[in-house]
Amino acid sequence: MNGTTRDRLMLAIAIVMAAIYLFPLYWMYVTTLKSGSEVFATPPSFWPASPQWSTYAFVWESRNMGRYLWNSLVIAFGSVALISVLGVGCAYVLARYRNAWVDVGLFLILMLQVLPASLMITPIFVGFSQLGMLEYPRLAVIIAIAAKSMPFFVVLVRATFMSVPQELEEAALVDGNSRIGAFFSIVLPLARNGILVSALLIFMQAFGEFVYSKSIIQAAELQPASVGLNSFMGPNTNEWNNIMAYATMYVTPILAIFVLLQRRIVSGLTSGALK
Amino acid sequence: MTIQIELRGVNKHYGSFHALKDIDLSIAEGTFVALVGPSGCGKSTLLRSLAGLEKISTGDLKIAGQQMNGVPPRKRDVAMVFQSYALYPHMTVEENLTYSLRIRGVAKAQAKKAAAEVAATTGLSHLLGRYPRELSGGQRQRVAMSRAIIRHPKAFLFDEPLSNLDAALRVHMRKEIRALHDRLHATSVYVTHDQIEAMTMADHVVVMRDGIIEQQGKPLDLYDAPVNKFVAGFIGSPAMNFIPAMVGDDGKTLALDLGTVRGILTVDRTLQPGRKITVGIRPEHIGIAEAGQGSFDVPVAVVESTGFTAFITAATTPELIVVETGRSTVRPGDMVGVRISSDQLHLFDDATGVRV
Ligand SMILES: Nc1ncnc2c1ncn2[C@@H]1O[C@H](COP(=O)(O)OP(=O)(O)OP(=O)(O)O)[C@@H](O)[C@H]1O
Ligand SMILES: [Mg+2]
Repeated sequence: MNGTTRDRLMLAIAIVMAAIYLFPLYWMYVTTLKSGSEVFATPPSFWPASPQWSTYAFVWESRNMGRYLWNSLVIAFGSVALISVLGVGCAYVLARYRNAWVDVGLFLILMLQVLPASLMITPIFVGFSQLGMLEYPRLAVIIAIAAKSMPFFVVLVRATFMSVPQELEEAALVDGNSRIGAFFSIVLPLARNGILVSALLIFMQAFGEFVYSKSIIQAAELQPASVGLNSFMGPNTNEWNNIMAYATMYVTPILAIFVLLQRRIVSGLTSGALK
Repeated sequence: MTIQIELRGVNKHYGSFHALKDIDLSIAEGTFVALVGPSGCGKSTLLRSLAGLEKISTGDLKIAGQQMNGVPPRKRDVAMVFQSYALYPHMTVEENLTYSLRIRGVAKAQAKKAAAEVAATTGLSHLLGRYPRELSGGQRQRVAMSRAIIRHPKAFLFDEPLSNLDAALRVHMRKEIRALHDRLHATSVYVTHDQIEAMTMADHVVVMRDGIIEQQGKPLDLYDAPVNKFVAGFIGSPAMNFIPAMVGDDGKTLALDLGTVRGILTVDRTLQPGRKITVGIRPEHIGIAEAGQGSFDVPVAVVESTGFTAFITAATTPELIVVETGRSTVRPGDMVGVRISSDQLHLFDDATGVRV
């Protein structure tokens, strides 16, 4: 087998794998455009006979999607803000000081990451209810998500800080800056890409968060879109086209962000801040 | 002359590791001091202690008469040039140069003017708008130097600033840095592991090993009268020959042990008969003569000629290296006489390595 045939074979395999992987996404999009009976047609049609664009407007209105998405945004932005403010400082300290306590701290942080949300929710719920936090359910969810996602953020941002050479900071100190000044004028700008990318990943996680929101937020008008989608799907659901339209409106903005920024995301995660 | 930098009994411990041991050093204002020594001897540690980047464990450190022990770097008013240059990658050359001024609240126009002036003297004027990644190694080096110059600090600290440059540029920058020093008359401390850099650039050389200062003084004093075998071997290139020897019964002759070759040298003083001595002879202080005409004869193993000088290695143990200026007529396999004058011998105690 010569080089080009092998390359073509590899390409073919890659395309097939991508097709399998992306098929559900494709199915979601075409289903939204099918009419109610077409959804259940056998054999299934891979392209809608007459695209039903009105489904989107109908679902948006009837399911009150504006409110759900607003709640998702509030929760996602709140989590990102809380995690960024607390996590950046934490990551910096863990990046710059090396001793046994830092190792212990890092281990504990990683351990938190291992525990699944469905396990954590019971103690969190009990604790929050005793503190009266359930009065402010969205805030409670933000705090719970922050606790859950902080390790991920700290580990990523710590790696970014470690890629900023310590000598740059020392040069700034000798040049007359304080430690805090050197952090803001030298380290932070150089770590900016890595921090933004980590924050974006946190945002996408928080935007789709389900377990905490479902358990903590009882009032429908405060629930995010993930919970709204769940309550749309009862045991006897048959309006798949409407559900898919809901899902489409929910995930397409996130997908768009990811596709637009994917180059920066990948380079921010791999190459560090410099060059 | 006033003392600009003064260290008294300075010690530095990293945990259980003793990196600097009782360092005493006084640096007069306007002198160019070189710290040399093998890798890991504590040169950078000493320099970083001066800058305030490391905290000394015990001892006194004064800069311009002020006690500096606990003072943070920004209040010491010293400038440092790092081996990696440590240019701020997200700032243009101009922003790099003016960083320290901007922190001090110097007006923007004034800072720009200062940057332009410094850039003109260091040949960076056309590069002010570039980012560090768009510069060559030599240009980065100049930016690092200029960033230090612009501040008019109390002292310049250099940590192996030329080690990332190629040989030709290194020789050139050596002269340029020295010329700069002669122009600014600023106190400078220059760390290097290259003794040639130290010898050619500095007014005062400090030789370190394992955290202690072995010897300090004028470059040629170190060359002429090294206090021990370590300094003798470290200063000078090619390195000094060391030959084990024993003092003869009359106390005025040395019997050299060169393996198969035995040589006798007379010394111009009386030593204790039977004492074991290490004799140091610089390769450039040995003359080549016809066989039988010198102090003793040696067989030649290798002749390496650079055109201007020839390095002749004798087939003895330990090897004896001779440097001859000009073209050499000696061939490998020849027997030649070596001429050694007694006033160019360095004698060291065999056990302690201390000069006798
Ligand atoms: N932060 C540190 N923690 C522990 N030991 C250190 C630390 N920094 C330096 N050392 C040790 O102190 C000794 C002196 O280090 P230093 O960097 O001053 O050497 P140097 O003379 O500059 O060597 P080189 O020519 O290789 O740069 C070394 O043995 C080194 O291992
Ligand atoms: Mg060093």
